[in-house]
Amino acid sequence: MHHAIPISWYLIVSAILFTLGTIGVLVRRNPLTIFMSIELMLNAVNLSFITFSSYLNSVDGQMFVFIVLTVAAAEVVVGLAIIVSIFRTRRNINVDEMNVLRG
Amino acid sequence: MIAGVPIPNFIEFVVLAVASIASGLGVILFKSAIHSALTLILALLFVALFYLLLGAMFIAVVQVLIYAGAIMVLFLFVVTMLASENTGDVIEPDRKPWQRGIAATLGFILIGALSYLLFTGTAINSAAITTAASGNGLAQHVADPKLGNTQAFGLALFHGFSFPFEITSLLIIVALLGAMVLGRRSLSRDERH
Repeated sequence: MHHAIPISWYLIVSAILFTLGTIGVLVRRNPLTIFMSIELMLNAVNLSFITFSSYLNSVDGQMFVFIVLTVAAAEVVVGLAIIVSIFRTRRNINVDEMNVLRG
Repeated sequence: MIAGVPIPNFIEFVVLAVASIASGLGVILFKSAIHSALTLILALLFVALFYLLLGAMFIAVVQVLIYAGAIMVLFLFVVTMLASENTGDVIEPDRKPWQRGIAATLGFILIGALSYLLFTGTAINSAAITTAASGNGLAQHVADPKLGNTQAFGLALFHGFSFPFEITSLLIIVALLGAMVLGRRSLSRDERH
């Protein structure tokens, strides 16, 4: 495929999205929002995978994105289950107070 | 030509980039978790459009179905579940007077765009599919360019990447069991002793 747009532009967008996700993880207190920021970071990485896959004329990058999608789904399921069970025992969800694994 | 890029490509890229970065900002700036979740869905949809722009059609569809569909619905379930118990994060039912007008306008734009595509879209469609197929490197795998790159994707998945694919099923089962164990309502202290 003929690419009209330089590869660096896509990578810049990906880098900006990744940085936004990192800032969200560092700044927010609600674990749900932290999770969403992690999803944003995963998507930024996926975008760069697809970009390289398209510019290098290889389907391997799309494979990686496929696997990352599955791992992200599994991660979200387990993470949300942990958050729900923490909320059941502690009655509030603030990451600053969740520093022990003991219930 | 702007910076060596044709004007239509430039416009579509810049619009997508600004929209995705704005919704990414929304994810980390909104106070309530439900607004963050909704803007994250927007961001995921815009990333899916980037995938389309890059010729990865199958991944774009999977992104919309799995990410913006399944995963974000799970997020919204948990957000609303915790919000109703938390009372700090309840969505107050405020109806803005302009909501109906905006919704009706957007609905008409959507039906207009869809019918425009339906009536004029066959030429665009086959051209897009052909470019996507030729954009994918596995030329030896693409028997019929009309099939797009989904065929190349599937062949690569089951030829070179079949072991990671199998591991994925194990991962999903482990995650399922973990979620069930964690989500089980734990016994109270009296019952435990």
